[in-house]
Amino acid sequence: MFSQRELDRYKRQMMLFGGEGQERLKKAHIFIAGAGGLGSPISIYLAVAGVGTITIVDMDVVDQTNLNRQILHFDRDVGKKKTASAEEKLQALNPDITVNAIDVKIEESNAVKLIGKANGIVDAMDNYPTRYLLNDVAIAKKIPLFHGGIRGFYGQATTILPGTTPCLKCIFPKAPPKEVFPVVGVTPGIIGTIQANEVIKYLLGSGDLLAGRLFIWDGREAHAEEICVERNPACEACGSLRTTKKPAREEK
Amino acid sequence: MTVKIRFFARFRELLGTDILTDVTAGTTLRSLITTISQRNPEGHAAIFDENGTFHEFVILMKNGKRIELGDAADTSVADGDEIAVFPPVAGG
Repeated sequence: MFSQRELDRYKRQMMLFGGEGQERLKKAHIFIAGAGGLGSPISIYLAVAGVGTITIVDMDVVDQTNLNRQILHFDRDVGKKKTASAEEKLQALNPDITVNAIDVKIEESNAVKLIGKANGIVDAMDNYPTRYLLNDVAIAKKIPLFHGGIRGFYGQATTILPGTTPCLKCIFPKAPPKEVFPVVGVTPGIIGTIQANEVIKYLLGSGDLLAGRLFIWDGREAHAEEICVERNPACEACGSLRTTKKPAREEK
Repeated sequence: MTVKIRFFARFRELLGTDILTDVTAGTTLRSLITTISQRNPEGHAAIFDENGTFHEFVILMKNGKRIELGDAADTSVADGDEIAVFPPVAGG
């Protein structure tokens, strides 16, 4: 049940998906890996939409050079833990949700436990080794992985439903080299918002997901396109999963 | 025979995109991309290593179908083909 404050807060979106949809968001637990450029818009939009439990994990401290894009963090937060800054902002945006901000590096030894019973994993990382690890956990738990990546004015996003769509390893078998990447804040703003939109649609069980579709954004040209991607039957990460046709949507 | 090459992200910055080019019969995917990318040494270096082998993270598509990097030298292109070449982006 919703309090009057919640009913007011969510009034305009309950016009779209009703109390039942809002209830689905409230019951959901979403794991966001990273509180940086992508993690900022993702967590902000999921918080204000009323996703009931948000776990957000980051190991970094806010640096001045983060502030052109990591809109969760303010100038006054420089030197603070990103998790502390994120928790404060998200809870201020919406006191009616639960925010677990965990200051730790996501590693093979802790990933399964950190993700716990979350209904989905949002990839807001800045490196492929950790992305591949999230991909493995998503496959093991058969929960979706909402992928996003950015560089400069360019971005990509796709929604991975283990057993149904290609996984991250099917699409990107090899990681690009590490670099200090150039970026303007609007790029993670656009891609992170698309990821958050995917999470909301998945939880509501409505609309068409970016399943088997790689969304590619070119901000210089203001042009978006998509590429169909397919499962690799020999994929080292998901090759052993039987193909299921229907996306494993959220239980009612 | 005309084929279209589409580069994405960093490759697009260095080489442009939607490049229409005439090819002769028997041209392979690998030789085509090698030739086009040589227009800009930095573009070539972004896609190939110093031995002229594709960087392992490069993704190739022909008419929307994935082509494994190892098959690019044995895959010929034909009139009207659309080739896409892109790097995954890693930032967050």
